[in-house]
Amino acid sequence: MKARNVARIARWETTRSAGDVDRETAVAFVVVLLALAAIVPALVTMGPTPGEGIYRVGVEDGSQYAGVVASDPQLAAVDPAADADVVVTDTTITYEDTQKGRAALSTLRSATVSYNDFLMRQEPDQAAAFPVVVSLTYLPQTISVTGQPADGGQQPDDGTGSGGGDAGTGGDGQQTGGDGAATGGDVPTTGGGLSGLLGQAQSGTPSSISPPFPLQSLVFAFAFLLPLNVVIQAYGSSVLAERINRRGEPMLVAPVSRGDIVAGKTLPYFLGALALISVIALATGAGALSVLAIAPLAALFLAATFFGAMLARSYKELTFVTVTVSVALTAYAFVPAVFAEVHPIAAISPLTVVVDSITGDGVSAGQMVLSTAPPGLAAFVLFGLGTGVYREEDMFTQLPIPSKLLDALAAPLTSRWKAGLWTALFLPFVLVAELFAVAVLFVAPVSISVPVLLGAVAVIEEVAKSVHVLAGFERGKFDRSVRSALVVGAASGVGFFLAEKLLLVTQLVGLPDLDVAQAAFSPAALGVSPGVLLVAPLALHVVTAAISALGAARSRLAYLGALLVAVLVHVAYNLAVVVAFA
Amino acid sequence: MRRLVLARRTLGSLRSEKTIVLALVIQLFIAGFSSFLVVGLVSLYDPGSTEGAIEVDVGVTGNASGDVAATVADDGLRVVPFQSQSAASAAFQRGDVDALLHATTQPGGRILVEATAPEGSFRTTLVVSELKSALSALEREQRARFAQRLDRQPLDLPPEERSNPYFSFTYTVLLPLLAFLPAFISGSVMADSLAEEAERGTLELLRVAPLSLRDVVDGKAIALVGLAPAQVALWLALLSYNGTAVANPLAVLALVTGVAAVLVAGGAALALRIGARREAQLLYSFVALGAFGAASLLPQSPQNLVARLAVDSATTLTWVMLAVTLAAAAVAYAGLRWFAGGGDA
Repeated sequence: MKARNVARIARWETTRSAGDVDRETAVAFVVVLLALAAIVPALVTMGPTPGEGIYRVGVEDGSQYAGVVASDPQLAAVDPAADADVVVTDTTITYEDTQKGRAALSTLRSATVSYNDFLMRQEPDQAAAFPVVVSLTYLPQTISVTGQPADGGQQPDDGTGSGGGDAGTGGDGQQTGGDGAATGGDVPTTGGGLSGLLGQAQSGTPSSISPPFPLQSLVFAFAFLLPLNVVIQAYGSSVLAERINRRGEPMLVAPVSRGDIVAGKTLPYFLGALALISVIALATGAGALSVLAIAPLAALFLAATFFGAMLARSYKELTFVTVTVSVALTAYAFVPAVFAEVHPIAAISPLTVVVDSITGDGVSAGQMVLSTAPPGLAAFVLFGLGTGVYREEDMFTQLPIPSKLLDALAAPLTSRWKAGLWTALFLPFVLVAELFAVAVLFVAPVSISVPVLLGAVAVIEEVAKSVHVLAGFERGKFDRSVRSALVVGAASGVGFFLAEKLLLVTQLVGLPDLDVAQAAFSPAALGVSPGVLLVAPLALHVVTAAISALGAARSRLAYLGALLVAVLVHVAYNLAVVVAFA
Repeated sequence: MRRLVLARRTLGSLRSEKTIVLALVIQLFIAGFSSFLVVGLVSLYDPGSTEGAIEVDVGVTGNASGDVAATVADDGLRVVPFQSQSAASAAFQRGDVDALLHATTQPGGRILVEATAPEGSFRTTLVVSELKSALSALEREQRARFAQRLDRQPLDLPPEERSNPYFSFTYTVLLPLLAFLPAFISGSVMADSLAEEAERGTLELLRVAPLSLRDVVDGKAIALVGLAPAQVALWLALLSYNGTAVANPLAVLALVTGVAAVLVAGGAALALRIGARREAQLLYSFVALGAFGAASLLPQSPQNLVARLAVDSATTLTWVMLAVTLAAAAVAYAGLRWFAGGGDA
């Protein structure tokens, strides 16, 4: 790969994209963007409520509760005689005994609480109106509270992932004190709003206290990831456009390597994504570290889109590939980040680094590695796979996605031992998939989550060990003999075993303290002698990879059957280890 | 007739590319994902919503601890009284109690509560929301005690009843999401389909066929507009099967058809005008996003319309807005046909 070629192609990609847009389209873009910029502040100030008026409350105009109903947009006042979910009379409150009726009642109740606060704020005697003032601080406990409440405290450890942000933050809770609470003046409410949601010290009336809410990661997920969707849409179109009407052919015959072309075409979009992320980081007050944390994720977005665009037959198909990529990756970044500040599981997501960077909590090196290495490596491998099919015979042929996928997987398998290499290269995907499974399952009780997870892990690992082996046999890269199948299977198993040591990265952030995480990443580490620890997993991976390779050597159907057998063997092994040593 | 053939071909290509299967899987995933999040979030907050309510132990100290302890215990928390703050904080450090309340009465009668909750723990949110609820009860009691010092009296709270915490989410977020996602995708596929024909040069070929451009656009649009309500009908059936009753299903489907027609017409017009997929698709996304944003400023936004229709709280305005949407769809579609016909009627 030559830097000069890459730079030239990148420049060409940029100028060509800008040149392609006619003046009319450019004007339309500007107009639409201006309109969007005008709509956003309007939305923020108007704050539209999608639930407006979904609960009907029968209330007389003169009733005190008419004010309550008017104060909450979800509630709509109707005539008490008419059809209503809740009816308020002078003496009683009746409600329909349906899901809707009960939901309406509970909304009315919380609306009444805030209405009472509104009434009380107009009282001259504030000490009687707000007779309770709370100041809330957070202190670390020394015991473990990360596990299940039922069998709490297995290991002496407290949320390694969150750390920092100690009680010292209480300081900013007192800054705006003004006329103190003791004098009976207004209640100084501090630290509410965003910082309250971020789990920092706050003080005020009981109803002004807000529990730490994982909402902020939702906001950040949207702020950081939505722009990436725009970038990948343009990028995917640009890649697929090369494949339409053989437009990419001149470049293929030019004296540059495939790697140069792909890197050059990608560079402007990657830089654009980084620029967008940096702007957002500046706007949200996140540090440079957060840009560094999101960059591998942006690369993975682009890599998955590139690979998808190499497989897709048409723009329609590309649209669905793009949506799949963005939904899956957003989920991956988002689900663990929901537990930022609350649980070490959050360390999986790059967004957690962003949250920690905004709240000023420290980010450990291990956390940084865990959140950035898997997506970064996965991006690298996907670009490699896609570049493998960036050639004349694959780019301009129309094939269904599955057979294109087999082409792409088979392309780099030039010798048998390469099967082991590619198994090892798939490990980032295994890691990403397993981390995601842990993040989804860790809330469930151990009795459900551990067995389900063992099954999921077995499926993920067996597929990763065998799918390219199948491609190799299907595309005639290996001869369909038993001996060849055994050799390829063994290579794949050994490759997996060696690369699996990467999973040790999870130890860095204390994830194994979670029961589910332990089941996923170190079932064998539960107290086995070192010798068995090394030999047993190696034997397992080689045996199961050989089973599925034997199937793959026969036919696709036989492969599916053999894969099932391999998964079952894997699950049985995992269960045996968990039962025997736990 | 020729249009129907074309519509069938459009659907056929979606089927052979398996994209429609992928589309359904994506929608299911998004719905499942957002539901998972909400269930997860609510269970963090609301102990009652998860099976086997979790006990929260609170250490109480200070000269107002008598009042506080009684109310806190009434609210369902377990109270552990301590003689001194240091003993209490030692117990908190050991994890014997989940939270601390140090309550002191001020000269004016106001109670000052210093609350301490565990930091960075799975249970923090739960503990804080339990404390909040107990202290709100204390606030109500104290207000009643000071009733003669107040000019206005707080209203009695409606009774507390177990309600489904996901109810509002299901109707105001999940359903509108499931209703408008297919419409949005239809418009996007329409833009793809026409832009690709233009880029590959096959649109010219189609013109040689005994079809006008208007017929081509018609055929594709019929297929894609029809696809949206079909998918939504599937979601509605699935929701009803799961015990979420949807009132006025036909009205919801009519609304979806209207929105899909507007989006498909927009996508088609952009693709025909620009003729390149990347620009058309980007512009379509921005315009659709902006249109949804602008529409949510209306008195009853499309999202709100779906919620109101499905939860059976429709007002006259709801029906008027539904009619307006359908009229807008008719106008947009007629505009597209006029545009595709080269401007002449």
